[in-house]
Amino acid sequence: MKLVSKRAAAVTASIAAAALLAGCSGGNADNGGGTAGGGTLTLGTIGEPTSWDPAQAHVGHTLQPYQVAYDTLILRTADGDLEPMLATEWSYNDDRTQLTLELRDDVTFSDGAAFNAEAVKANIENLQNNNGRQAAQVAAVESVDPVDDDTVVLNLSAPDPSLEYNLSQAGGLMGSPESLGTEEMISTPVGSGPYVMDTEQSVSGSQFVFTAREDYWNPDLQKFDTVVLKPYEELTARVNALLSKQVDATILDASTAEQADGAGFATLEDYRVDWQGLLLLDREGTQVPALGDVRVRQAINYAIDRDTMLESILRGYGEPTQQVFGPDSGASVDELDSRYDYDPEKAKELLAEAGYADGFDLPISAGPGFETALAALTQQFADVGIRVQVTTLNVQTFLDDLSSGKVPVLYQNLFQGEPWVAINQIISTDAIYNPFDSATPELDELIAAVQTGGDESAENAKAVNEYISENAWFAPVYRIDQVYSYDSEKISVEKQIQQAVPSIYNFAPAS
Amino acid sequence: MITYTLKRIASGLVLLVAICAAAYALLFVNGSSIARNIVGDQATEAQVAAKEVELGLDQPLPVRFLDWVASALSGDLGRSWFGTITVSDSLTTRLPVTLALIGVAMLFVTIFATTIGTLAAVKRGWIDRAVQVGAVIGDAIPGFVLAVVLATVFAVQLGWFPAVSSIGPGSGIDAWIASLTLPVIAIVLNYVTASAQQIRSAVIQQRDRDFVRTLRSRGLGEGEILLKHVLRAAAPAGLTVLSLQFVGLLGGAVILERIFALPGIGQLAVTSTVSGDIPIVMGVVLYTVVIVVIVNLAVDLINGWLNPKVRVS
Repeated sequence: MKLVSKRAAAVTASIAAAALLAGCSGGNADNGGGTAGGGTLTLGTIGEPTSWDPAQAHVGHTLQPYQVAYDTLILRTADGDLEPMLATEWSYNDDRTQLTLELRDDVTFSDGAAFNAEAVKANIENLQNNNGRQAAQVAAVESVDPVDDDTVVLNLSAPDPSLEYNLSQAGGLMGSPESLGTEEMISTPVGSGPYVMDTEQSVSGSQFVFTAREDYWNPDLQKFDTVVLKPYEELTARVNALLSKQVDATILDASTAEQADGAGFATLEDYRVDWQGLLLLDREGTQVPALGDVRVRQAINYAIDRDTMLESILRGYGEPTQQVFGPDSGASVDELDSRYDYDPEKAKELLAEAGYADGFDLPISAGPGFETALAALTQQFADVGIRVQVTTLNVQTFLDDLSSGKVPVLYQNLFQGEPWVAINQIISTDAIYNPFDSATPELDELIAAVQTGGDESAENAKAVNEYISENAWFAPVYRIDQVYSYDSEKISVEKQIQQAVPSIYNFAPAS
Repeated sequence: MITYTLKRIASGLVLLVAICAAAYALLFVNGSSIARNIVGDQATEAQVAAKEVELGLDQPLPVRFLDWVASALSGDLGRSWFGTITVSDSLTTRLPVTLALIGVAMLFVTIFATTIGTLAAVKRGWIDRAVQVGAVIGDAIPGFVLAVVLATVFAVQLGWFPAVSSIGPGSGIDAWIASLTLPVIAIVLNYVTASAQQIRSAVIQQRDRDFVRTLRSRGLGEGEILLKHVLRAAAPAGLTVLSLQFVGLLGGAVILERIFALPGIGQLAVTSTVSGDIPIVMGVVLYTVVIVVIVNLAVDLINGWLNPKVRVS
């Protein structure tokens, strides 16, 4: 308290000089980034890691900060290919229940410990035991057998087509075995990654400063001398930080994109990661009997004017879609994107056939932030006789309400990722977004083919996509552009397929 | 005066305990469903159950509250449920930012409001009308609109100030001044006319009272009467409105903190409330109530010192 009042007093005393002083410090746009070497990369992030323990890492925009300090076993390139990183090669046995990884032998962690097979075992077990948000990524791993220092075998309880992908995500982040689970690890990452945290300069809620690690094993991935992460929850703060050049790049949205564009900042184009729309969860009709009829679910799809919604709500920053699998997943089917083109007459016909000529009541739940989209849907559904009641879900209890079957229809924004990830998130009977456990023997067979299909997995997932599309499990509206804007005079950036923000490796100083 | 002070402190402590208990109970209305939110949408039922046990969500509410109180008394406010640094570390780094913002802003509000309010009361005429009109405008324009306009013009377009906070670890006084100037101006513009209006009314009221007429009849100068007697008598009304504004800002500053990305407690309170991070929210509640109690105590003591009659009642 003493410090505070002193500080407050000092601020008070000299605030008369504020304008003068600020004239100097406010213009300091590049945060001291020199021109020597790679300079400084300053990113405006949404939020910050809740803990630097890799067991607490998450996906999408929350994975990026961990990439600064940690390497993953497998590197995912900007266009989604999986390449060697800490693991130099990997292969499955015939029934795909054992994944053998060959490891680099020249890597050390920032605390001096060596990276080896035991470290892989320690990290996978750390993720499984610490109940992290992405523990599911290594759930299929039953045990980890270090064969020798440079070879490790992951024994699986069942084939997992997304495992290699997961080892390029939270599931593959490698921290120093000594540090895992310690108190220090929460505030300071100890990895083998390209940068090391400068703890003097870093403080939660304000900024995290990282400096390039000397003798990093892969200098190609280490393009800057310093990386600074600045967490900004508020969109206004992110756009202002970018416009005033306090950050080099940040994520915006459709409403602020033009502002950045007008000020001369570049934006990554056609960067589509999430889809948004309705999840018609109560497919058995236990709560809303009408939804038990496939014709009603199809009618809902026909009743949506996706083009108009895209233009009016997203200002064109996105594209209409009628399927839940993304174009980069290998499971998307072009024809499905015109399966349910806007046709209110057809919707009315189908409703009449199903015995709902007079329409029916449709409760739709959603978290906060989708009010405009829901208003548009309510209007469009009313045109074909469907009467919508909207319920806003509490963020804190959202997942619990969902998994306990209180939500027959949900409007949601969801990641459009790898097919097996998507199947486990929204289609399989264990999926949290399948709370009514919808399943048919036919679909089960298709899903099993994906799981055991090996290299054919993505191809097999097309059949799943066709099945759920024909049976109208969902009513997708559009894919949304990730509006990622940056100062192209200072840096270059490449978008990262199926990831909310580009990986840290995709940034480089402008040439 | 000592009895009076002790009484005020005692009632402050009662308030503190009552608010903490109420906040704790309200936060747990959603009960164990928070565990699911923490482990995320990929987690299995077993993971959710394990998290519930880990956080003690399987214990009855009174037991959990008493545990929290016991730890809090020993100085341990726990750790964020989402796994980050301890609550006290988190608050200690953020509290100075919020207090500096509110403290400096209220100091300027006090100086300007007292000057303008007194001038309006004494001179009347155009100043008086300007204050009244200003009070309406200040009330009508939301603080965040002012903040956005200030940020756009003076930070983004003119580049005189940082658009978002540049206060970091070890940053010098210039970073503090540069980062706080625009938010402080936003608060001052928003609040000064309302309190000037209150001070104006209080001064006018006091000037009409008998004791002032008596002083005038004794031949004291208007200036002396104003400074020594009228302002002293009008002070309680002014202090009350200023302390209310201060307390209001503890919650209201959050919007400014978000727009200017100031790493203060308001920012922390919002993000942790949305996610259901109860240890952090309780930390914020505790610290905030302590500050409110201290401010109220200070105001009571100043009032008591200015006006002995208050001490008796």
